[in-house]
Amino acid sequence: MLLTLLLRLLATLLHAALMFGLAPLLMGVVSTLRAWALGRRGPAFVQPYRDLYKLLRKATLAPDTASQLFSAWPVAGVLALAVAAMLVPGFSTGLLTAPLSDLITILGLLGLARAATMLGGLEAGSGFGGAGAWREALYGVFAEGALLVVLLCFGLLAHTVTVDGIALAFATQHIGISVSLGFALAAILAVGLTETGRIPTDNPSGHLELAMVHEAMLLEYSGRNLLLLNYAAMLRLALWMSLIGSIFLPFGMARAADILSWPGGLLLWALKLGAMAAALAVFEVSSAKMRVFRVPEFLGVAMLLGMLAGIFLFVAARIGA
Amino acid sequence: MTPSFALYVGLPGQGMHLHLDALSLLFLGILLPQVVAGAMAGMRKSVTFWVFALGMGLALAAADAFTLIFGFELMSAASWLLVLRGDQKPATLYVGTAIFSAACLIPAVFLPAGPLAFLLIVLGAGAKAGLAPLHFWLPRAHPAPPAGVSALMSGGMVKVALYVIIRYAFVVLAPAAQPWWGGVLVAAGAASVLIGALRAMLEGELKTVLACSTVEHVGLITVGLGIALRGKAMDDATMAGLGLQAALLYAVAHGLYKPLLFIGAGEVKHGVGTTALDWLGGLVRGMPKLGLLMLAGAAGMSAMPLGPGFAPEFLLLHAAIAAAGSGGIIARIGFTALLAVLGVGAALALGAAVRLFGIGFLGRPRTLQAAAAEEARRGPLAGMALLGALCVPVALLPGLVLNLLTPVILELAPQAQTPPLAYAPLSLAVLAGLVAGAGWLALRRYGVRGTREVAAWNGGFGKAPPWLPFGDPAAQPSATGFAEPIGRAIGRGLLAPGGADPAEAFLLAPLQRLHTRGVRLAERIRRATIRQRLAFVFAALVVFLLALGLGEGS
Repeated sequence: MLLTLLLRLLATLLHAALMFGLAPLLMGVVSTLRAWALGRRGPAFVQPYRDLYKLLRKATLAPDTASQLFSAWPVAGVLALAVAAMLVPGFSTGLLTAPLSDLITILGLLGLARAATMLGGLEAGSGFGGAGAWREALYGVFAEGALLVVLLCFGLLAHTVTVDGIALAFATQHIGISVSLGFALAAILAVGLTETGRIPTDNPSGHLELAMVHEAMLLEYSGRNLLLLNYAAMLRLALWMSLIGSIFLPFGMARAADILSWPGGLLLWALKLGAMAAALAVFEVSSAKMRVFRVPEFLGVAMLLGMLAGIFLFVAARIGA
Repeated sequence: MTPSFALYVGLPGQGMHLHLDALSLLFLGILLPQVVAGAMAGMRKSVTFWVFALGMGLALAAADAFTLIFGFELMSAASWLLVLRGDQKPATLYVGTAIFSAACLIPAVFLPAGPLAFLLIVLGAGAKAGLAPLHFWLPRAHPAPPAGVSALMSGGMVKVALYVIIRYAFVVLAPAAQPWWGGVLVAAGAASVLIGALRAMLEGELKTVLACSTVEHVGLITVGLGIALRGKAMDDATMAGLGLQAALLYAVAHGLYKPLLFIGAGEVKHGVGTTALDWLGGLVRGMPKLGLLMLAGAAGMSAMPLGPGFAPEFLLLHAAIAAAGSGGIIARIGFTALLAVLGVGAALALGAAVRLFGIGFLGRPRTLQAAAAEEARRGPLAGMALLGALCVPVALLPGLVLNLLTPVILELAPQAQTPPLAYAPLSLAVLAGLVAGAGWLALRRYGVRGTREVAAWNGGFGKAPPWLPFGDPAAQPSATGFAEPIGRAIGRGLLAPGGADPAEAFLLAPLQRLHTRGVRLAERIRRATIRQRLAFVFAALVVFLLALGLGEGS
């Protein structure tokens, strides 16, 4: 009993360390693969670490029009995402944080991070920050609705809405490939791309574009604050990839209480993240950014797909019992 | 354990009876801090305010229908006088709605238990609570009176109306309850959520934003009640328990942060002279305490995790998911759509709270008055601090609060199951604290310390000229501009043309046209000449005789 608890604690610590330590690497892999796909040589995989270190050594500036809360928003955003990243299972199920990993809690924490970033964008009273904030608010409206209907679909299939429980249920029960899960996957991919600020809704490598969203809210930040905000973006990407991975690719996940299953789980987690990073890079290279007012339609389709997934489940009557 | 009192006034031969059970005590408990805070916010010397509070207390403690209606109408009349003190036009609309509400409630409480009584109760109390489609008066009337009264109207009066719905739907009419009663509540609640949240996002006036957000929260509470009522009628213990937990916890939380926000809005009015968001900006520099308290209230209003509003939202979503897992296919599809509506509503509420705080309290001042605003007065600030302090246990220990609610839930639905809450804010706070500690150590060890204040970069525009000390006020995001894209993306589909509230455009405007037409008709009859009148009487006589003759003949 005590040994199990100890192993679960170890697994949780390992998960947190890997999540926090390797989130920049994941971002680096995506950018480098993207550059390769475009025929460029691209930066080294570890470039994000160098960027973060550079920001650490830079002076932190605050605009004179900002309030005393200016430096609180990056901290709030990064903390909300860090907690969420500890809740989402990565290489293993049954972490100590598993009972907390309710998808609605994770949704709320993502919302908290979003609100903090938006308030940071409104701090200095500059036009770009405000524009980024309203775009984020607009996208959030549709993304959250879509995510909740998809969540219902998972809840009906797995009889639980904790990510840990869903991963366990999808890995062990014979769910099979169904149209519903396909729709749910499409919907959650659309939401994930929007939330992490990737093409087609936002361009992560675009600075000072008129239509930028996430970058627009960071324009007044520098030094330590910018480090936190950039790190939050990296955490968000790692979190979404782990989330999608543990729901749709739960095979081979280790069990926290069984230390012998850890190496396999770690290896498979790395492979899954690598494959998703490659898929993201290829997708980003092959598609273009949308106009701002096309995004609600894009996410509206995601919401409808999520609803259709639920309705197909009801019609097929695979629920109940 | 349940004390009863008889008062020797009231109906001849009957008197008035008070009875305090768990439900009444809960709602009295919700009411008390608001009354105290309202009194601290400057309403202490107003007799009408105390009559208003007395009416609410009487309605909540009533043991017979007469006392309930008496207290309810006392509350309506006193609040009408208070609204009238602020503004005359919404007061007329308000008193009209109050009369409609009384006209539904008075027959309903004396009818035998059945669908008609239930529908009349929902219409009457729903109109008072601001339930769609009878919510149109609320965003007009709630902002009109002084802040302390607005706070009590938004946090307390709508709760009294909801109490009437709960009391009748779950206790008095319980023997006749059917699952579709819950469906009615869920539908009305979902409509309120959508309209309230959308209008809270679009309105440009601080107190109106808060009033629209009240419509949304009343909708959320009603959705919880509807799910619970449906679960109770279908004998589904989980649904009934989750729905009631969500609704009652929402009532508790909303009764704390909404009055806080309203009192804060009053102080903004006092300090700046206006509550139009487009005339504020940068207030948190001049009024730091007020700003922080408003931030806490906004966190509750937008249901952020670790805030007071998240635990009820969490329970409500779980209740909706549980409800979608049972029942017929149409109901299930309906609950799927409900989840989408709740998601959109939650995100809109988040946007509205960010807009309220980000435009009003952050950024640069948009007017000289906003730049010169000084810290709020001590009394209102103390009232807000009281409410804010009471928010802390709701935010961090929702499990304990739910334990306190269990007797009420068992009184309303004896079969209800109340599982422990799966959301543990304290654990989340501990995790966040660990990360914060580690991060702080790392930044301190390796980072460059200190922050230098410089002119805002502002996309390269640089520093504003000296005659514009806060930069060009027109060159920063405005509340209107912030909301416009959302109005364009979803407002078009949900609101009437021109951005008006659908209830106003499709319910109030036709009623008004009908009224005008009726007045014209009456005027024509009044102005009829003696010949026309005689002809009318003669025609009526002929028709009457004809009908009589035909009736005899057959």
